[in-house]
Amino acid sequence: MTDRTAVLVLGLGNVVCTDDGAGIAAIHKLVREYDLPEGVEALDGGTLGLSLLPLVDRADQVILVDAIRAAGPPGTQVRIEGDEVAPAVYERLSPHQIGVADLLAGASLIDRYPDRVIILGVVPESVDLGLGRTPAVEASIPGLVERVVEELAALGYPPVRRVRSEQHDEGNRITDHVARTLGL
Amino acid sequence: MTHIVVDPVTRIEGHLRIEAEVDGGKVANAWSSSTMFRGIEIILQGRDPRDAWAFTQRICGVCTTVHAIASIRAVEDAIGAKPPPNARLLRNLIIASQCIQDHVIHFYHLHALDWVDIVSALEADPHETSALAQSISDWPKSSATYFKGIQDRVKSLVERGQLGPFANAYWGHSAYKLPAAANLMAVAHYLEALEWQREFIKIHAILGGKNPHLQSFLVGGMATPVDPDAQASLNIHTIAHFKKLIAGAQEFVSQVYVPDLLAVASFYKDWAGYGAGVGNYMVYGEYPLDDEPSPELYIPSGVIRNRDISKVEEFDPSKITEQITHSWYDYEGGDGQALHPSEGETSPNYTGPEPPYQRLDTSRKYSWLKSPRYDGVPMEVGPLSRMLVSYVRGHEKVQGLVNHVLGTLGVGPEALFSTLGRVAARGIETQVLVDKIGDFVDDLASNMGSGELRIHDNSKWEPSTWPDDCTGAGFHEAPRGALGHWVRVQDGKIARYQCVVPSTWNAGPRDSGGMPGPYEAALVGTPVADPEQPIEILRTVHSFDPCMACGVHVVDSGGREVTRVKVR
Repeated sequence: MTDRTAVLVLGLGNVVCTDDGAGIAAIHKLVREYDLPEGVEALDGGTLGLSLLPLVDRADQVILVDAIRAAGPPGTQVRIEGDEVAPAVYERLSPHQIGVADLLAGASLIDRYPDRVIILGVVPESVDLGLGRTPAVEASIPGLVERVVEELAALGYPPVRRVRSEQHDEGNRITDHVARTLGL
Repeated sequence: MTHIVVDPVTRIEGHLRIEAEVDGGKVANAWSSSTMFRGIEIILQGRDPRDAWAFTQRICGVCTTVHAIASIRAVEDAIGAKPPPNARLLRNLIIASQCIQDHVIHFYHLHALDWVDIVSALEADPHETSALAQSISDWPKSSATYFKGIQDRVKSLVERGQLGPFANAYWGHSAYKLPAAANLMAVAHYLEALEWQREFIKIHAILGGKNPHLQSFLVGGMATPVDPDAQASLNIHTIAHFKKLIAGAQEFVSQVYVPDLLAVASFYKDWAGYGAGVGNYMVYGEYPLDDEPSPELYIPSGVIRNRDISKVEEFDPSKITEQITHSWYDYEGGDGQALHPSEGETSPNYTGPEPPYQRLDTSRKYSWLKSPRYDGVPMEVGPLSRMLVSYVRGHEKVQGLVNHVLGTLGVGPEALFSTLGRVAARGIETQVLVDKIGDFVDDLASNMGSGELRIHDNSKWEPSTWPDDCTGAGFHEAPRGALGHWVRVQDGKIARYQCVVPSTWNAGPRDSGGMPGPYEAALVGTPVADPEQPIEILRTVHSFDPCMACGVHVVDSGGREVTRVKVR
């Protein structure tokens, strides 16, 4: 296959459910502030579930960025890998968890489960309806982005912090407008 | 009398709870409750109406395009923007491809496991499966070796305990009627459908770039440039790519989906006698074929009452109301009101039991869904409604396919009013759409050829061109049925917004007169062999293709149990 992605960084969550959008907010911040090396793709997957299969099954390694129910106060950083991933997507991710479970099960069923799946996230305080995150979780987003950057570096794909924002093409202009509209 | 609670109903998006009373092996009474609050309307107030689609797109992970389409149509209706022909064609292409993909996923990945026993498939003789497959279709993947390979793959998943979506079903239940060979064929096609849908939906990627959320929606048109010679736009190469994907879809639907549907249905003909429901069917209509104010629609609008297929009424949007007698909301003018969505209110007021709870008090409020009514009566929406209205209106393609399916199964038109009828109608619609969608691409190509490249009406883009106070409605046939958005724009901002979604029509609770909603009515009479394993309830509920995620928000945050059936 020619269109393989070495590392897919996929934000998950619902941006109109407050802290559930933490992972999406982190992805947009990452893309705004860093240049990603060749082979790395960072995308806002929302709650699309199975529709994300074409992205996941062409990736060698996947970093899912999400809100995760876990011990610890809101904003606590969480990392899940290996055998812990499957139970986590069934039990610990936020409301869209079933879609994520279907996504990973689907990749497995067609024999294209990525070589490595890592979940990075923060503990939500609220997943109530609303735009924007609670203060504790919003404050944890820069740290979450740092974790993604470190993880990419450890995989051999270090992102480079951008000095100033670059000229965007038309597609990015729309994406930027939508992201700003959604408070990301 | 046994009281059954199925909560959550699995293999759906979102959170649905069914309570049923079973008497003498049949459902005597049923209640449908959404335990999620939907309130996107509240977020939209005060915002720029041109951005509304970006919010409504995030309501649901399954239906992102449908809420965007309904939203831009509602806003265009309010401000008077007129999308040019290319925008209409691009939207038709998006809508039809979404519907085709959704129906295939529903049949194989959400609904098939109610009819297909995976465990039995492991015991099948691959040679028998091969003979069966070759007897019903020319689809090339049909050798005994191929089916043996599939069987081994699933066996190894089972042995490793990685059942994934195959876990938590009622394997071995006496209600499964397919022979082992047919079960194995269906499992193979389950996996093929998974591959196929990921390929087909590239249509959206071509239209919207890499972003998983299609972002080319625009009030007044579309943001997808159309130019035969330009690189970053729809051009002759993308047209060719569309045609290839559509040809693949036609093959898959006519050689796999429809033959499978007929094969499975032939073993479950008794289900043509269950699940009829309210017997009223409503369609807003879809796929405008011209750019007139009231365009001809490829799938026509209309209303059928009391299963009377001798006539179709014209659909009149002013007859839609929503009641909240049994819904956790307040209306300013009192809970007894029936409000038109343009005057709709979203004031949540949860008065149900503190979760986790055993029983809902269904004599009071018991759902986060409102009760939509048309001219005061409940309406079923979705593929069955669409195929019925098209059939009665004389839609040649639909009539031909419906008659073919009825003839093959040896049943009359009355069989359509049932759980099985709903499943069949979805397959028929998929075939109708894969045979039509290429026309939208051809028309785009022909516009390109004649130099018609407009994609947007920007004459109404600036808020200064809008009336100070205006209202609009956006109607759309989503895969699951009639979807409406209503908007009021005052001084350039959204003053009021209401969505009435298909699953609210179908899954809503009883109304002020105690009249059940479509799920509730359809479940009555459904047989239940074993109250501990109510697979029959899932069959009827899943036949509607529930999608409750428009609710956005899970109230019960206590960790989702994979499935929970309570019998008392």
